[in-house]
Parts: sequence; structure tokens; C-alpha cells
Amino acid sequence: MTVMTQGDAAAYLYAEGLMLDRLDFDPWLALYTSDCLFWMPAWRDDGTQTDDPDRELSLIYYRGRRNLEDRVQRIRSGFSVASAVMPRVAHMIGGVQLTEAEEGRVKLDSSFITNVHDVRSRATHAYFGRYEHELVLEDGAWKISQKIIRLMNDVVPTMLDVYGV
Amino acid sequence: MTKPFALRDLVDDRPQDGVFRVNRALFRDPDLFALEMKHVFEGGWVFVGLATQAENPHDYFTGFIGRVPIIVQRDGDGVLRCFVNACPHKGVRLIQKLCGNARRHVCPYHSWTFDSTGANKNIKWQKAGCYGAGFDEDNHDLASVAKFGEYRGFLFASLNPNVPSLEDYLGEARKLIDLVVDKSPEGLELVPGRVTFTYAANWKMQLENCSDQYHFTSTHPSYIRILDQRAREQSAEVVQSSIGAADFWQEDASGTTGGTMSFDHGHVLNWGIMPVSAALPEYEHAEEWAQLHGVAKRNWMFNMRNLTIFPNLQIADNASSQMRVIRPIAAGLTEMQTWCLAPRGESAEARRFRIRQYEDFFNPTGMATPDDTVCYEEAQLGMAEQDRPWLQGHARGLTASVEGGNDYSDMIDMKPARSVLADAQLCDESLFGNYYRAWADRMAEVLS
Repeated sequence: MTVMTQGDAAAYLYAEGLMLDRLDFDPWLALYTSDCLFWMPAWRDDGTQTDDPDRELSLIYYRGRRNLEDRVQRIRSGFSVASAVMPRVAHMIGGVQLTEAEEGRVKLDSSFITNVHDVRSRATHAYFGRYEHELVLEDGAWKISQKIIRLMNDVVPTMLDVYGV
Repeated sequence: MTKPFALRDLVDDRPQDGVFRVNRALFRDPDLFALEMKHVFEGGWVFVGLATQAENPHDYFTGFIGRVPIIVQRDGDGVLRCFVNACPHKGVRLIQKLCGNARRHVCPYHSWTFDSTGANKNIKWQKAGCYGAGFDEDNHDLASVAKFGEYRGFLFASLNPNVPSLEDYLGEARKLIDLVVDKSPEGLELVPGRVTFTYAANWKMQLENCSDQYHFTSTHPSYIRILDQRAREQSAEVVQSSIGAADFWQEDASGTTGGTMSFDHGHVLNWGIMPVSAALPEYEHAEEWAQLHGVAKRNWMFNMRNLTIFPNLQIADNASSQMRVIRPIAAGLTEMQTWCLAPRGESAEARRFRIRQYEDFFNPTGMATPDDTVCYEEAQLGMAEQDRPWLQGHARGLTASVEGGNDYSDMIDMKPARSVLADAQLCDESLFGNYYRAWADRMAEVLS
């Protein structure tokens, strides 16, 4: 199947969300192309987000899955107190729209809410915003070549890691 | 006036006995916190922002001094002023935006209007208002803060008029601000994009952590491992690191690796030797800076420097360059406003390098700061009232601390009040004493 339907796309994003909820990082990393973009822009002011990651600050910006592997390594290392008691997370993803679709490549917009219960501090937070995914067909499998996370509530209570958005 | 707290119950400062201890109550007590807001944050100089945040005529930005909302505004002639961001009429916050450009501000509640010098330009239907004589005698302009000043683009204000001049308040620490500003003849700028986070602990946890070399290898081993790995890999794909190239934090480093300095009015520096190498984004200017500023100052510009201007500004020049503003909300809640500071006109390559390192190290969504803020929160739990109220975290370096500076401060003709020259394992904590002495000075009115 070299063309993705809206239904396929939604199922793909739900599957990614579930992997993060389950902290199932190996299959999650395997979803990404080796040269993927993983980007959560910051806010410049009240109403606009940064859009040039080389000249402006992002909350997270990686080009290359290798950097996501570093994030996972830190989480699993046993040497990060922020990752010692793992938060419980549930992703709710909706409003999935195909914005571009061609042979072997699609772009998707969606909305997300993550409910994060920080077990350590007994505090529960909700993060919400929009995803912009680009998926490409690589050796017969759909891979994420780009994920942009537009976080709306960007005043971060203590910490926020890749599994929380 | 009754004094609700006794200093000796809060800070046990007996240098002759080799004792410096801080009571947990300083981090926990809500009554003490309310007094701190009034006397530390609203009772003396605090940092309010950079001049470049309101660069053009009629630009403004908003913020807080303690609990008081403020506006920093540039008028049409380029003069910067600082006002209380509240309409004199009913106290409504005049400007809700973080920043913008406006010649006039109209209060959203009853349309009182002010220009960019803070002068009242219109009181709606004043003539028909049947006001008494008392009203006409009132000043209807926006309230100016008592003191407002700039040092090399860094803006400070005080709600209390009885403070030393800004020059005296910053004192010799100005030379450390120079090291940051002099990185470019065009000065500094904030990289667009601000990052705000909160943590559920007292503001002094952040105050201390910036100057706390002792925590680095304990709190951040997960990040350090990644730095080591990236340094070995040296591939274009991974985010490169400056800290990895320095040994001031490596436990097996020998000789002097850095130290601390304390300045009058509570400012402190924690510093470490960083080689002048391509591991820093500034390397492209190494030769030019040596010619412009001399080799000694150039080398200082490459050193790791964590500077606190008491009580609320921190500039961390290490893995990248960060400006932090501490905003206490409650005894157990603090908001941090953070920006990436950068020299204007640096190359696209250097800027990219600076930003990438910043995100990984400093962001609450990165790989280092979350391990700090979680520790602050865990510390806050341990601040509960208990039989042993005195913390043991301000004692390292006590016997290494000397009056005045050392060879390194002499290199840039800087005269700190006290200094410690350290090897990698000393990790001075005696510099925190400087915070608490300045804290006690500002709190003097309410401490017996």
C-alpha cells in the first residue's frame, strides 16, 4: 500500500501515542527515519511561535533519530532523578486530517491532549496542542520523517519529556 | 515596629567558630516569604529586563517587581522608563501583553489614556465628572518606580528610593556583565523564544543551584554520559557540547580548575576554566577578542561563568548562554523565565550551535534542568519543620575562602569581596553565605 488514507493515518498516530503511553520506546524509535525532524517550537510572545530553529529557540529540536535515542537512553539510564519514578501518560489524539497525500508521502495535522500524572509529586498535568506529522514510505513501511509538536500551554510545571507530549 | 523573626534563628553566621548554617524555615515559612517579597524583591534593586526588549521608539514589555506589575517603555525620544502597570483610577492592569509597541495606552476598564512617557492624556468625561478639589490635586500619571537604571543594556529597578546607586549596587560584578556584553561590538540580544517553567519549591533553591558546582556530577550523570558519548562519536548528526571539552567538573582533574567569587550586595560567581577551543560557539572570535580586549579578558570570556546578580538575575555562560529571571510566587512555588542570550552578529553556524546546546541543557524539556528542578522539589519536602532545623549545605569551602580576589580576578582587575580558588573536588558552598548576608541586609527592618 503506497497511498495512505485518512483512516490509516489516524490509526498510525494512535499507535504512536499508545507506544508513548506504554513507555515502549524501542518500537517508538523504530517509527522514525534516521534523518527525522523532531521539533517542539517555543513561543516568541503571546501569540506567535518560533519558526526558524537555527535562529530562534525551540523547546525541543532534533534532526536525526540518533538524538531521540539519546533521550531514551537518559530516561532509561537509572541516573536521572526526573526519570526515576516514571509519570503515567495517556495520549488523546483527534481531528486527524491529511493535508498532503502522494505516492509514498503524506502530511497530517492532528490535535492532542496528554494527561500526565507525575507519580513522584502526585500532581496531574494536561498538555495540549497540535501535531504536524510527515510520513514517508521506507522499505515498504511508513516512517515518521517529521513531527512538529505545537504545545499550547507552554508554562512547564517542573519538567516535560518526549513521552509527555 | 515589632520584629517577627530573629536573624540568629534563621542564619547561624559565626565565622570565628567556623560555622555558617541556614535554617530550613527560610525555604518554607509563608510569613517569612511575605516579608521577603516586600523587603527583598520590593525593597531594593531587582533586574527587570534588557534594553533590547524595548529597542525601538514606543516599544514596551511588561513584567513584575515582586508582586507589583510593571511596564518598561521606551518613549518617542528613545528614553526608557519603568512604571507600575496599573491604572491610577481603579488599579486595573493597563497592559496585558508581554511586549508590544504603542504610543498610547488606553485602560480597558474606563478608557483613561496614557502616552509612552507614562503621562495621563485623558480622563474620560472629566469636565462632566463633578470631581472634588482633592481629585484635581492627585497625580493621574502612571506611577514611576522609585529607581530605574541601566548598566550596558541590563535594566534594574527599585520600588524603594533608599537604595545605593545602581553603580554601587552592581559594584565589581559589573566586570562580569562586561564579559558577557563585550562578546560583540553590537552588544547582546535575546534569541527569539522565551521558555517559562515553574517548580514547587522555594526561590532560593534556584538561587543556590546556579552557584552550586557540587551537584553537577551527582545530579546530571545521565546527561554527562550522553556528552561523553557524543564527544567520542563527533558525528554531525548529534548535538555537540562545550562542557564535555572542559575538565573543571571532572573529579580527576588536577590543579586549579576554577572557583568562586562573592561581591558586595549579594552577587556571586561560580566559574571554571574552559580552554579556548572550538567546543565553544565563541571560538570564531578568539583572535579578534584577544586583540580587542587582551588575552586575559578573552580567556575569561571563554571560562564557564555562572553569575547571580542578587536577588533575581542569573547569567549562565557555560554549555551555551542563558539569562534567567527568578520570580517567587509562594514559599513553595517559583516561576522561572529563561532566554538564550547571544552576541549580536555571530555567524549562523555559531548561533545554531549555541541554540542546540541551550535546548538540551537548559530547557525544562531538555536533559539537564529537569533533574535540577526535581531535586529542588525533593529538597522542599525536606524543609518541613523538624528537630534538626539547620541545613548542612553551606559549609564546603569555609576554610578556603579568603578576603579579596586572587590571580584570576587580578587578570581582569576585578576586586571581589571574597574568593575561593578551587580544584575540581572543592566545590565551594561558602559563597552562598553572600546571598544570605545580602538577604539579611534587605530584611534588616523585620529581623531582630
